[in-house]
Amino acid sequence: MREATRQNIADIILAAFVAAGSVMLFIGAAELPPPRFEPLGSAALPRILGALLICFAVVLSLRAVLRIRAGTLRDEVTSHADPRRGALVFAALVVYVAALDIGHVPFVPATMVFVTTTGLVIGARSWVNLFVFAALGLVLSLAISTVLERFLYISIG
Amino acid sequence: MLDAFLLLFEWQNLLFLFVGTALGIVVGAIPGLTASMLIALTLPLTFHMDPVSAVTLLIGEYVGGISGGLITAILLRMPGTPASIVTTFDGYPMAQNGFAERALALGIMASVVGGIISWGFLAGMSPALARFALQFGPWEYFTLVLMALVMLAVLSQGSMIKGLMAAALGMAFALPGIDSSIGQARLTFGSSSLLAGFGLLPVLIGAFAISQILRDAATPQQSGQLDMPKRTLPIYRRDFGYALKLVRGSVIGTWIGLLPGIGANIAALVSYSTEKQLSKEPEKFGTGHEPGVVAAESANNASIGGALIPLITMGIPGSVTEAILIGALTIHNLQPGPLLFQNAPEIAYGIIAAYLVANVLMLMLMWGAVRHIARIVQLPRSGLMAVILVFCVTGSYAVNSSFVDVWVMIGFGVIGLGLEYCRVPLGPFVIGFVLSPIAEEQLRASLMMSDGNLLEIFARPYALLFLALAVVTVVWPYVAARLGARARARAEQAEDAS
Repeated sequence: MREATRQNIADIILAAFVAAGSVMLFIGAAELPPPRFEPLGSAALPRILGALLICFAVVLSLRAVLRIRAGTLRDEVTSHADPRRGALVFAALVVYVAALDIGHVPFVPATMVFVTTTGLVIGARSWVNLFVFAALGLVLSLAISTVLERFLYISIG
Repeated sequence: MLDAFLLLFEWQNLLFLFVGTALGIVVGAIPGLTASMLIALTLPLTFHMDPVSAVTLLIGEYVGGISGGLITAILLRMPGTPASIVTTFDGYPMAQNGFAERALALGIMASVVGGIISWGFLAGMSPALARFALQFGPWEYFTLVLMALVMLAVLSQGSMIKGLMAAALGMAFALPGIDSSIGQARLTFGSSSLLAGFGLLPVLIGAFAISQILRDAATPQQSGQLDMPKRTLPIYRRDFGYALKLVRGSVIGTWIGLLPGIGANIAALVSYSTEKQLSKEPEKFGTGHEPGVVAAESANNASIGGALIPLITMGIPGSVTEAILIGALTIHNLQPGPLLFQNAPEIAYGIIAAYLVANVLMLMLMWGAVRHIARIVQLPRSGLMAVILVFCVTGSYAVNSSFVDVWVMIGFGVIGLGLEYCRVPLGPFVIGFVLSPIAEEQLRASLMMSDGNLLEIFARPYALLFLALAVVTVVWPYVAARLGARARARAEQAEDAS
């Protein structure tokens, strides 16, 4: 794929998502009753925002298409990012929340495992770090659960 | 005002202000962590606190968060916050030339003076401006919110269309839930979880903290050899010669802070450029010139005081951090705006008093502990991020003891990450989310009062002025570009003719 296409395709995908969102706004607004006691009604703002968002999406995608045709690149800063690490941290976060919410795993062990996993994904992987992150997770989870349960009367997990 | 100071000096309020300022300085000094992220994360803790204590904690975090950025900007050339980018221009060369302590001393001194001068504007202007704003009706409020949103969207970095789109998207995400005017569910698509709408805290934590951590996790940690300050921070009698530069930077910072969407980094840049233009030695700027640090640091700190003026007098946030502060006040059933001075004077004046005392505490903390703060900054980032993620989860959960909020936070984290990837600014998105209910409520009230007659706006001079300013803000960049192109064409023609 040409570099100009790759860079500008993000704007086209964004425009598609925004357009889909504005369609949702129109569908939701259509289910609302017409105004009875006031001139504007409940459906007006969703419709106004939906129309605006569609306009913005059209302008954005047109500009992206024109840039692709002209072979123009966005002023993109070279990034040394490794998206896999970000994806792994995100996956760990989703599994952690799912374990607490759906799996009803107790907060302390779940947090200990999560902090260890995340720490090792982001930082250097070594046995020393494994123990350091596990200890950090244990202390953190015990401290948070104590504050939540003793002082705020909130139980988690 | 005196009562507010007396209330602030109660030990628990002073303690929260101290803790907030210290936390803010540390977080502000760590590149990648920002004051807005810290405030969003500590917001759930303020639920169970007295409103005055909550406000003092958050104001301390705000002041500390903006000021702390200068430490790494000077020592590592890594601005802890965007507000300190300009400080690197001269602060880092000074450190490289062996004057790290001097650069830190000047930076801290300029920050405090900037804060104190902008406090003067805040304390002097706010009550009068609030009294003036009491004349505003729904039309004025609606157009004021519209103007703030448009200015924020247009002036935020990047494409104007994307800024406006971000604001509209943020407003759209605030729509689901029960419409309070008719008491009926709107845009919930049959989901009972959406009846309460998207909570402010999960949205803020998701859009700012989660998206930033996911982005930072993918980026390798920047390493730099930290040249730890060794001696005491030097300050000399000749520094009184910087008085005019300090006042100029502070005034520029305060007035730029007043405008929505511009922010502390632009305030510092404008102040730096002004100082350079006025200087007899402009060539020295960027090589480790002391006035460069003074100009940048006085302006970025002063912009906080400027930004607090529209926040407490009209309820209009100028940046994301102020939007979160509005959220904090709303959580405590307080509506920022002109009535805040009447309904909760201890909060309105408390914010003003806390801002001054936070600056003094910041001076004491930074002067005394800059070496230790610099050491904290060098802690491994991996453990810190894991800890912040746990705080994000527990903070979102603690709001309603519901995992729905945690999933909403994750969802908005993904949305924030996607928007940032597409270079859509997050500021207008979050402020659109915060201001959407106010804008809708005021527009509906306006139209009810005028029997649906939109032309009523022409009978309201302030509303018309705000609307005109909003239109000019959108149109002006195109007009300026056209005029510039025409001037260039004329110059080229004249050149060809000669």
